[in-house]
Amino acid sequence: MRLFKSIIKQFRVLKAVAFVTYKEWAAYRSHMMVSLIVGPVSFLVQYFIWQAVYSNQTQLNGFTLDQVLSYYALITLTHYLTMDFADWNLHMLIRTGQFITYMIRPMSHRYFAFSQKVGHRVLGFIYEFIPVYLMFFFVFNIKLIPANFFWCGLSIALGFLMTFFINYAIGIIGFWIIRGEGVRRMIMTIDRLFRGVLIPLVFFPDMIQKILFFLPFQFASYVPVRVFIGSYILGGMSFSIPEIVGIQAIAVVIMFFITKILWLLGARKFTGVGV
Amino acid sequence: MMKKLKIYGIAFKNALATRLAYRVDFIISAFVMLLFELTIPFFTFMIYQNGAGFPGWSFNEVLLIQAGFLLCKGITFPFFAGIVWNTIEHIRNGTFDLLLIRPLNPLFMVMLTGIDIKDLGKLIGGIALFTIAVSSVPGSSAINWIFFAFLMICSILVFMSFAFLMAASGFKWVGNFRVYDIFESLTAFAMYPRSIFSKALQFLITAIIPLALMGFLPASVLLNRPPADIWISLLSCLIFLVFSIFFWYRMMKNYSSAGG
Repeated sequence: MRLFKSIIKQFRVLKAVAFVTYKEWAAYRSHMMVSLIVGPVSFLVQYFIWQAVYSNQTQLNGFTLDQVLSYYALITLTHYLTMDFADWNLHMLIRTGQFITYMIRPMSHRYFAFSQKVGHRVLGFIYEFIPVYLMFFFVFNIKLIPANFFWCGLSIALGFLMTFFINYAIGIIGFWIIRGEGVRRMIMTIDRLFRGVLIPLVFFPDMIQKILFFLPFQFASYVPVRVFIGSYILGGMSFSIPEIVGIQAIAVVIMFFITKILWLLGARKFTGVGV
Repeated sequence: MMKKLKIYGIAFKNALATRLAYRVDFIISAFVMLLFELTIPFFTFMIYQNGAGFPGWSFNEVLLIQAGFLLCKGITFPFFAGIVWNTIEHIRNGTFDLLLIRPLNPLFMVMLTGIDIKDLGKLIGGIALFTIAVSSVPGSSAINWIFFAFLMICSILVFMSFAFLMAASGFKWVGNFRVYDIFESLTAFAMYPRSIFSKALQFLITAIIPLALMGFLPASVLLNRPPADIWISLLSCLIFLVFSIFFWYRMMKNYSSAGG
């Protein structure tokens, strides 16, 4: 009973913070709607690149032209559902000393940041995901229907969590490096590359694919997209959809504890006025 | 002119000294800028590595397009393109007035205070990539090199035009740094052989928005196969530059601060 009450309380907190974040960011919805230009324009470039690449062949690394285009459309849409800037936000709070205000609040900053992400992404779903999905559907004729709704939904939810934990872990580095913008950007660039945003991970050399399998990045975007398509392969390893979603869940739990440990180590380093 | 160059030199030294206060962050930031810009050549490399490619274009030829693009970006961004974030930031904070009351042209002023040293990583990457790409393709005549140099200057002007347009948008679209995202998505058209795009897009990136001039056209001259419509792009570059400067001044009139 106590556990149930605690869950309800936590949910109320999440709802309240998410709602405030939603309202706050709704004031800048035109900024978010830049995605309506950037998403389709970037996709248009990819469309012509891959049209040219596939002009002499029908299959490349197991992808047909339609599949590779669907892959890029899905990567774009998954990004709208899972992205956040927990890293930037935590860095900024630590650097400016504003973080002190979170240390005296009766909730963890990680949960607060996660709740903020929920609110921000609800807004993203309305102003980014739905319009761009419709553009892909009607303008580019990319019919994006998941192979299995349940596993796809679950995998995207886990990708949502994984993205948050990765970014939050990057943000925690700010406890050690106050002016850590460079480090943060470096990891973000690697993250972008290794989660399959630039090119499907099966295009990497086999050895690198095998390493990528054990890194957290692929679980944030590549896995949800492959689950959406309905098949998973990386580094010669092929898994059924329930299996890879199970592995993804384990990876998320591991990242949860990694952020917890990093937090415990990093928070001790924090210095601010009165601390 | 000499006076302005002298002032620019002082501003550059100041920007360098400020950035070097956090040396490790500066080195890492410059390296990251380089790393980020190399993602597109890496993407192209991966395509060719997997036995595919763009019909009629070898990897080194495509690399030359991308290297030329990165070289121009590497010159523009640290030295001139800081006007974008600087203008947007000043407008958002309401401190743009401080630039208006100084005894220099506001556009020059915002350029001076926006020098972004960490973007030198782009320039280093551009020079390195360009050297590799040029040494991997057949040599070109002296005339072609002179024409190439001229086209590179035009390319820098197109980059600057984009910077003026992005900065000007800040007067109406307060605090929106996502104009960089729009820029990055549009300029992706400049980094691949023009022939892969549809005829309508080829016309658009040559004659309307001279994106082809930012990478493809200079490289095509060095590869001894300049397209016949290259002059249209030069004309378009000039119109684009004049329009962007006019747009910046026009938008500046919309600026209002606490003083009204």
